Amino acid sequence: MNEYILHTGEKKHLVITCVSDETAQWRIIQEADSVLTVHLFCLEKDADTRCNVLLDIEQAGEHAETYIYGLGILSGKQHISVHTRVRHSVPNGKSNQLLKFAVMGEAKGAFLGELIVAPHAQHTEALQTNRNVLLSPAATMQTQPQLEIYADDVKCSHGASTGQIDESALFYMQQRGIAPDVARQLLLAAFFHDIVSTLGEPAIEDRLQRKIAALTEERPLR
Amino acid sequence: MVNDQMVNNLVLEIRNLHASIAGKEILKGVNLQINAGETHAIMGPNGAGKSTLSAVLTGNPAYTVTEGEVIFRGKDLLSMPPEVRAREGLFLSFQYPVEIPGVSMTNFMRAAVNAKREHQGLPALSAGEFLKLMRAKRALVELDNKLAGRSVNEGFSGGEKKRNEIFQMAMLEPCLSILDETDSGLDIDALRIVAEGVNKLHTPENATIVITHYQRLLDYIVPDFVHILADGQIVRTGGKELALELEQTGYAGLV
Repeated sequence: MNEYILHTGEKKHLVITCVSDETAQWRIIQEADSVLTVHLFCLEKDADTRCNVLLDIEQAGEHAETYIYGLGILSGKQHISVHTRVRHSVPNGKSNQLLKFAVMGEAKGAFLGELIVAPHAQHTEALQTNRNVLLSPAATMQTQPQLEIYADDVKCSHGASTGQIDESALFYMQQRGIAPDVARQLLLAAFFHDIVSTLGEPAIEDRLQRKIAALTEERPLR
Repeated sequence: MVNDQMVNNLVLEIRNLHASIAGKEILKGVNLQINAGETHAIMGPNGAGKSTLSAVLTGNPAYTVTEGEVIFRGKDLLSMPPEVRAREGLFLSFQYPVEIPGVSMTNFMRAAVNAKREHQGLPALSAGEFLKLMRAKRALVELDNKLAGRSVNEGFSGGEKKRNEIFQMAMLEPCLSILDETDSGLDIDALRIVAEGVNKLHTPENATIVITHYQRLLDYIVPDFVHILADGQIVRTGGKELALELEQTGYAGLV
């Protein structure tokens, strides 16, 4: 378990990469006016392994901000489980979670997103979004948003969806001469674009985009 | 002499084409020959199989060809995957162009143009050359720069989507273009811009199939031949006057 305290006004950027057979657990307490940004990447290729990630974050001081961005491309027989817990214990906090997974082969993904807003944590703004795309019939994704909102004057919303690649877009691109695997790559690059753009550093965004392209190059088992 | 020329100019030949979707037969023996330089209109009532014909020609996987053959510029069209048909010069202007959020028009068209160039054994265009080509072709359908910079069709109006189809047609310079209900959802100004674009792209070397329900579009894109498709077969063929006759009598009088 990695434990951190973000002191008043402190800004921290944490990059977590899922590594085979690892359980990564982070507990972070945020004091007032602190800003935490987490980027979580699951970008191992065809790893026949398991990875569990827990991100347990508590806003203990007012006007703290928490941003969690997760991007995963799961292949082979990977099992990846991501659990986030964001606790707003005081008023005037802000959090945004955006996690996207593309699952291929026989990989299995799971996302559990807990969002807890304490009774007196008024004026909390919290957002949680999880979008997933399954690229093969054997791929699975379990998504479980769990919201416990005890305050009444808050703005909280969540959305979760799991679907397939848009076949009509795929055919449209093929009709223009684009090979299906290239079309699929373009569609997946578009799917992940909003997360990539949160990195805010063109050189790193470019590298990540190339990594995504490499991981989605192969025609997935259909 | 005339016959030789006819054979050499043949762009598309459809022989006894039967096709079905989900076990239901829609095309029941379509025959059609199209030569370079010609514009053919295919008209017919709803459910006649007009859109099925364009879907089958372009290789839409939802449809199954059960009988017949299609020769496109001397090659067996039906054995090619959809992307190869496109690279060989077949273009479909979709009735409902698809929105692709997050994929920019530029990246989309660049992938398409370079796939075709690779197929033809030509080197890929550089970014500079490509943007120059985009600019030149955009003007043809009065598509402004902002639209070209956006995601494919995302948030485009009905008219903008159809102009974008003709822009893509201009970029890809097909040998055979199928315009599937290009007039649907267009006001008269958009219709005029789209039709003028199509007419400017027309050359003695390429051919066009215009699929439409109404005569209106054919005032702007004047066909050499009009075919009436009904219940999966071409039941009548004539010149452009056939469309006018249809306007007067309706399909009931002809089918």
